[in-house]
Amino acid sequence: MHELSIAAALVRQALDVARENNLARIEVLEVEVGVLQQVVPEALDLAFQAESRDTPAAGAVLRQVEVPMQARCRSCGHDFVPDIDCFQCDACGRADPDIVEGRDIVLKTLSGPEREREDLLEDQGH
Amino acid sequence: MKIKVIESVLKENERTAAENRARLDAANVTALNLTSAPGSGKTTLLEKTLERLGPEHPAGILVGDLQTTRDAERLSGGAAGVIQINTGRGCHLSAAQVAEGIAGLDLEDLEVLFIENVGNMVCPAGFDLGEHARVALLSIPEGDDKVAKYPTLFQPADVILVTKIDLLGVLDFDVGRVREDLARINSRAPLLELSARSGVGMEAWMEWLASLRGA
Repeated sequence: MHELSIAAALVRQALDVARENNLARIEVLEVEVGVLQQVVPEALDLAFQAESRDTPAAGAVLRQVEVPMQARCRSCGHDFVPDIDCFQCDACGRADPDIVEGRDIVLKTLSGPEREREDLLEDQGH
Repeated sequence: MKIKVIESVLKENERTAAENRARLDAANVTALNLTSAPGSGKTTLLEKTLERLGPEHPAGILVGDLQTTRDAERLSGGAAGVIQINTGRGCHLSAAQVAEGIAGLDLEDLEVLFIENVGNMVCPAGFDLGEHARVALLSIPEGDDKVAKYPTLFQPADVILVTKIDLLGVLDFDVGRVREDLARINSRAPLLELSARSGVGMEAWMEWLASLRGA
């Protein structure tokens, strides 16, 4: 259940971005999840719901897209696509890849309604 | 309104891990992240490793468990500093927890820092702690199919230890099968067979540690 710590980081990050962009709340988040993270989508969804409770991200839809791996062989420099159960370079056969894609989790977009001008003024104490 | 973000969710952990590494480098401390299933022998390996390092190579230990301070108590005799990190519901250590742990140690007095991660074959894999090398353990009682079943634990490892090798012959375990699986998952990391209890193979492990320290 490392999905819990991922969800906690995601909610913190999303709320920061929403605040900077004057969003009243977050309705949709699009996230790219590298396959190497071994994330169970349902578990991340559940963890996100738990972590976002009572925040402006509560009830938001979390859209997850899985990103496959890309690697460069450290032995021969060949670019290849490893499988989760086989990291062998298809040129030289060594399993010594530099994973260049498929290990990260990236928040791509956030959407939600903007805060009204009156809300902003209120926040600033006017 | 739709906002383009394109930022890593893990960036906070990555940044803290880089800070940890910089602090360790500044104090000339080599840090290792030990990952494995619970019960594979991480703590016993550390007990025996501390004995062999002796006071001339002072080592610190951060030990992660969901609950209890039992591992820290076991290790407190031989280490220059031991800090137990209780993760509660957390199934892996984070760079922030390690940063807190490091703050409680006198890094200047240490040569090596062992970070014993929470026993778990999935969750610790994706979290950089700021270590210089990652160690993956697999014990004989777990069975010889674990590399194939949990590739993400063994893929990023810099060394792989088959532990409790004294049980070979008592239990059905084919080291050849582990080697075959590693040829597909990780052909970079050396595979060392050892028993911390009997001492078999400990020399090679200590040599590997020394070479890491010298590198």
